[in-house]
Amino acid sequence: MKNSLEKFCSHCLLPLGSYPTKRIVNGEDHSFCCYGCCLAYQVKHGSREEPEAAWLLVRLGIGGFLSMNIMLFSLLLYSGTFDVADSEMLPKFYWLLGIFATPVLFILGGPFIKESWEGALQGRLNSATLISIGAISAYGYSMLMLFTGGKNIYFDTATMILVLFTLGRYLEASGRAKAVRNVAPLLEAERQWATVIENGKEKRSSISKMKVGMNVRIRPGERFPVDGIVLEGFSSADESILTGENRPVIKSEGDLVLAGSINQKGSLLIECGALGAATQWGLLCKSVREALSHPSSIQRLADNVASIFVPIVLAITILTIIYWQSQVPLDQALLNGLAVLVVACPCALGLAAPLATALGLGQYIQRGCIIRGGEVQETLAKIRRIAFDKTGTLTKGATRLIKIENNDASQEEVLQRAAGLEQHSEHSLAQGIISVAKDRKLIIKNPERVQAVAGSGVMGYIEGELTAVGRSEWLIEQGLEMPSLFVKKLQNYESSGQTVVCVGWSGKIHGILLLDDMLLPEVPIMVETLKKLDMQTILLTGDLPAVASRIAKSAGVEEWKASMSPDEKCNFLEQWGGIEDPAIMVGDGLNDGPVLARAEVGIAVGSATDLARETADLVLPEKGLALLPWVILLSRAVHRTIITNLLWAFGYNIVAITLAVFGLLQPILAAGLMAGSSLLVVFNSLRLEQFPDNPADLAQVKSFISG
Amino acid sequence: MSHYIVIFVAGIAGSFHCIGMCGGFACALGVDPAGKIATLYRHLLYNTGRVTTYMFMGGLAGMAGQSLILSDSMSSKLPTDIWHHHSTLANFVTILPETLSTGQRILAVFAGLLMLIMALQLFGYLQRLHILTTGLGSNTLVSSLRALLNSRSRSATLAFGVFNGFLPCPLVYAFIAYAAASANIFSGMITMASFGVGTFPAMILIGGLGQFINHHWRKRAVWVAGLFIMLLGLITILRGLFPLTGH
Repeated sequence: MKNSLEKFCSHCLLPLGSYPTKRIVNGEDHSFCCYGCCLAYQVKHGSREEPEAAWLLVRLGIGGFLSMNIMLFSLLLYSGTFDVADSEMLPKFYWLLGIFATPVLFILGGPFIKESWEGALQGRLNSATLISIGAISAYGYSMLMLFTGGKNIYFDTATMILVLFTLGRYLEASGRAKAVRNVAPLLEAERQWATVIENGKEKRSSISKMKVGMNVRIRPGERFPVDGIVLEGFSSADESILTGENRPVIKSEGDLVLAGSINQKGSLLIECGALGAATQWGLLCKSVREALSHPSSIQRLADNVASIFVPIVLAITILTIIYWQSQVPLDQALLNGLAVLVVACPCALGLAAPLATALGLGQYIQRGCIIRGGEVQETLAKIRRIAFDKTGTLTKGATRLIKIENNDASQEEVLQRAAGLEQHSEHSLAQGIISVAKDRKLIIKNPERVQAVAGSGVMGYIEGELTAVGRSEWLIEQGLEMPSLFVKKLQNYESSGQTVVCVGWSGKIHGILLLDDMLLPEVPIMVETLKKLDMQTILLTGDLPAVASRIAKSAGVEEWKASMSPDEKCNFLEQWGGIEDPAIMVGDGLNDGPVLARAEVGIAVGSATDLARETADLVLPEKGLALLPWVILLSRAVHRTIITNLLWAFGYNIVAITLAVFGLLQPILAAGLMAGSSLLVVFNSLRLEQFPDNPADLAQVKSFISG
Repeated sequence: MSHYIVIFVAGIAGSFHCIGMCGGFACALGVDPAGKIATLYRHLLYNTGRVTTYMFMGGLAGMAGQSLILSDSMSSKLPTDIWHHHSTLANFVTILPETLSTGQRILAVFAGLLMLIMALQLFGYLQRLHILTTGLGSNTLVSSLRALLNSRSRSATLAFGVFNGFLPCPLVYAFIAYAAASANIFSGMITMASFGVGTFPAMILIGGLGQFINHHWRKRAVWVAGLFIMLLGLITILRGLFPLTGH
C-alpha cells in the first residue's frame, strides 16, 4: 500500500516521473515531482522547529533582494544615467554587481545545478539543465569580462533568470496543490490516524495497525477513519464524498458511520466494523489513485515530446550561437543563444494534461462520481452516442401493481394467492405484488410444495389446491383454463407493452395482475438535455418490443431494440457507430455487467452491484442518473482545457524559440515569459474549478464551455 | 525634486494605511531579545527589503513607461540629466519632460486615472475592485510570509521585507502608476524610494510599540494619504491633457 502512495508527488499529488526529487520532511520520506513542489511543500508543512522550510524562502528572498539591486543598477547603466558620472567609477560598479551576483548563483542556482547534475549522472537532460547552463554561462561570461576589463556585463541576466524560474516554480507548485485539493483527502486514506481507546486510555494509532472491533473516538470536524457503529454520542455526518449529497446525516447510538465521511457536531465513540480496502472509502481511494496514475494517450504524447525537447533545444541554441557569431559581436551572439535556452522549457508541456485531468477528477468526486482515469474522461468527451439499459436504469426496476382483473374470485383472494407464491420467486415483479398485498393488510396465504420455473412462473399448493402465478402461456400449459372474458383484455394489455401476470387455481385462471415498470421522473429532462448535446440515444433491453417502445417513447429516447441478450447488446454496441463512432452504455450492472465492460465507456448507476462497479468506467452516485449530462459536459470541458493548454504550451514554445533564434528576445524577458507560461497553464486549468455545479442549468454550463 | 517630498509626505500619511496589513507583519517581527539596537536593526533590515522591492517595481514601471514612449515617437528626446531637469522650483509638480509626445500624454492620463481610482479605494469606495487587486496570488504570498516568520535569522528578516513589498496594496499601486508616468527608470525608482522611506517612521515605530495608534487617527491619516494621491493623480492627468509649454 505504501508503495502505491509513493508514486505521487507529496505536494501536488500528480504522478511522479521516473526520477523524483526525494527529501525528508518532518522525519518522513517524501517524493516530489519537481523542485517547485519540494519548495512549496516544505513551506506549507515544515514544522516550526524545522528551519529548512523558511530557509528555502529566505534564499528566494535574499536572492531576490540581491538580484533586484543588480537589476536596478544594470538598468541605470543601460539607460545611461551614470554616463555623466566619472568613467573611472564604472568598473567599480561592475565589480559591485559581480559581488552581488556570486551568492545568488549559489543560493538560487544551487538546486537547479544539483538537479541537472543528478540528471546528467543518469544520462538525461532536463529543464533544470537548460536553466543551469543559461545562468552559469551568463555569469561565467560576465566574470570573464570583469577580469579582462570588458564592458559587457550580464550579471542581471544571470541572476534574474534564476529568480524568475525559482519564483515561477514556487507559484506553479502552489497552483497545482490548489488544483488537487478535492482529490487530496482521497489519497490520504491509508495515511490516516485514529484515536483508539485501549484499556480506557486514548492513543493515536495508524489505520494500518488497527483491527475490527476496536473502539475509536471521533472528534467534531474529524474524518471517520473506518466504518463502524456508534456506541456513544450524538452528531451528524457529512457523507457527501461518498454519496454526493450535501445534506448532513444524523448519527446517534447504533447508527452506521462510514469511513471517509466527516463528523460534524459532536464527539462520537464508535466500534470499528471495517477498515482499509474493506470500506467503500478504501475502494474509492484506490480508484482515484488508479485514475491518477493511468495517463491518457494525449498525456503520453505530451510526455514523449517533452522528453526529446531538451536535446533539441540545446542543438538549436548551439546553431543560433554559431549563426549569430558571424553576424554580431560574440557577446550578442551568446545572449541570443541564452534567450533560446531559457525560453524553451518543457515544463508547461508536461503539466498540460495531468493538471486538468486531476481537476476534473476532483469535480467528479465532489459529486460522488467515480471515474476510472484520464483516458475515460478523454473518450467521454468525444463520444456522441449513448445506449441505455431499461430496468433499473431508466426505470425504477421495482415494478408496481397498477390493476387487478378478477373472475369468479375476489380481488383479495387473487392477491393473497399470488403474493403467497411470489414470496418464493426472485423475479423482479415479485416485490411489486407482495408489497401491494401487505399495503392492503391482507393475510398472505403460504403455499406448500412450491416449484419455481425460471422465466415462466411459480406454482404450489395453497389450501390444498394447485395454484400457479406466471405467464399466461405457461398457466395454460399447466392445464388451467383461460376464461373468454380475459382473452381480449390480455391481448390489449400485452400489445401496449404492459407486464401481465396471470393467477389461476382449481383448473381456471381467476385473475390478471397488471404491472408497470415506472420511468424515473428525471429521465425525460435528462434525455432532452443529452440530445441538446448532440448525443444520439438508444434503449437496449431484454424486454418485449412493446415495453421497449412504450418506455423509449415516454423517456424521449430516439431508438429502441428489444428482446436482446447481453451478447446481442455487446455486438450491437460494437457495430452501432463502428470503431469510428463508439458509444457509451449506461446500465445498473445487474445483468449487463459484461456489456458495461465491453462498451467503449460503461457507466453504472448508483445502486449498481459490485460487479458493475468493477467493470464500469464511471460510476454515478445513487439516484445520480440526472448527473449524466453534467458528467459529459465536464469531460468535454476538461478535454478542452487540455487541448488549450497543449496548444498554448506548444504554440508558445514555437513562437518564443523562433523569436529567440532571430535575436528578438532579451534573455530576462524570455525567462519571465517561460516562467509565466507554466503559470498560465495552471491558471487555465484552475478555471475548471468554476465549472457550474448545477447540472440542470444547461445554459450556465454551455456558456462556461464556450466561454 | 520637490514632488519627491510630496510623495515622501504622502508615504508618511499613507503608512497609517500600511499599519492595517503590513503593520501586522511588522508587529509579528517583534522585538529582538538582544536589545533595542538589535530590534531597530531588524526593523531597518525588514524595511530595507520592502523598499528595495518598491524601488525595483518603480524602476520597472519607469522603464515600461519609457519604452512605451520610445516606441511612440523616437523624436522626443529623453532627458539624460534628470537632476538638472527636476531641479527648478518652477517645476514643482513636473514629472514629465517639457515637450510631451502623444504617448506620454496618454500614459499620464492613464496613470492619473489609476491613481484616482486607488485614492477612491483609500476613501473606502470601489471595494469590489479592492478584492480584485488583492486577490491575485496573495494567498501564496501570505503563507510564504507566515513561513518566514518562523525563522529567526537576520537574513530571514530581509527576505521577509522583500516579499512584503509585493503584497497587493492600493497605495503602492498608485505610486507605481505615478512612477510609470515619469517614463524614466531613475525617476521611477526615486518615486518609489521616496514613498518607501516615507513609510519608514510609522513602520519602525509600530514594530517597536505595537498597535499604539488610535483607530480614529489612523482613519484620518489614510484619508490624508488618499487626498495626496488624488492631488498627484489630478495633476498627472492635467499634465497629460494640457501640457505646459514654454514654462
